[in-house]
Amino acid sequence: MKMEDMSLSGLDNTKLEALAHDIYADLVEDACLGLCFEVHRAVKQGYFFLDETDQDSMKDFEIVDQPGVDIFGQVYNQWKNKECVCPNCNRSIAASRFAPHLEKCLGMGRNSSRIANRRIASSNNMSKSESDQEDNDDINDNDWSYGSEKKAKKRKSDKNPNSPRRSKSLKHKNGMWSETIPDGN
Amino acid sequence: MHGNAMKRVNMSKESQMRAAINQKLIEMGERERLKELLRAKLIECGWKDQLKAHCKDVIREKGFEHVTVEDLVAEITPKGRALVPDSVKKELLQRIRAFLAQHSAL
Repeated sequence: MKMEDMSLSGLDNTKLEALAHDIYADLVEDACLGLCFEVHRAVKQGYFFLDETDQDSMKDFEIVDQPGVDIFGQVYNQWKNKECVCPNCNRSIAASRFAPHLEKCLGMGRNSSRIANRRIASSNNMSKSESDQEDNDDINDNDWSYGSEKKAKKRKSDKNPNSPRRSKSLKHKNGMWSETIPDGN
Repeated sequence: MHGNAMKRVNMSKESQMRAAINQKLIEMGERERLKELLRAKLIECGWKDQLKAHCKDVIREKGFEHVTVEDLVAEITPKGRALVPDSVKKELLQRIRAFLAQHSAL
């Protein structure tokens, strides 16, 4: 009897369902046997009980499940509201703001060099750029969100090729910017 | 006797069908995939950890110098079968049925 001669009519739905259950049972059996072999080997090779020590140590390092505390029992947002004193400018800065502030303050990090390069480029191109740069600095120092870097990038593209600043070409969302820009007329 | 002979022929047709399907299951790699799926699900739901804890009891009882594979199989397998969560069983049966629906027409 060739296999190709057989069709679905050989197995009706109940038989198919029974076959499905048999296949499932086989798979579960495989999983159980796999576990047995794994455990047996671990026992014979001596590494099955490696994660257990004396009762006291086990208690010491038990997983902690309390609110406000991580699984080691440490408080994890303890330093959120602390303030640090910057060694460079001696200002008191919030801990979460400290790293970006230090980056700008010490003149290191990606954006500081970008700003510096921009300053160099624009001081070569524009005459009135000097006073404006200081305004840029102050504003950058006070606002450490990513929004300020976006504004800084926009300014760079505006200053690009030829024309000096015209208020109509400035697309800043924040009205603060238009106040600091002297009228180029 | 004629009836019994007919029964036997039909039975062997059925068992040949089953063998053919099982062979397809293996050859197409689906059985291996199902095996991996089951293993992953059983770990995820904590089944493996549960049974491992049970193993520890068996081993302590039999003494771990002397415990054999047969000991473990006898103690673990029935419990293992019973502890599979319904959701896992459902999902696997669904996939198996889908395979059978697609491939049982030869």
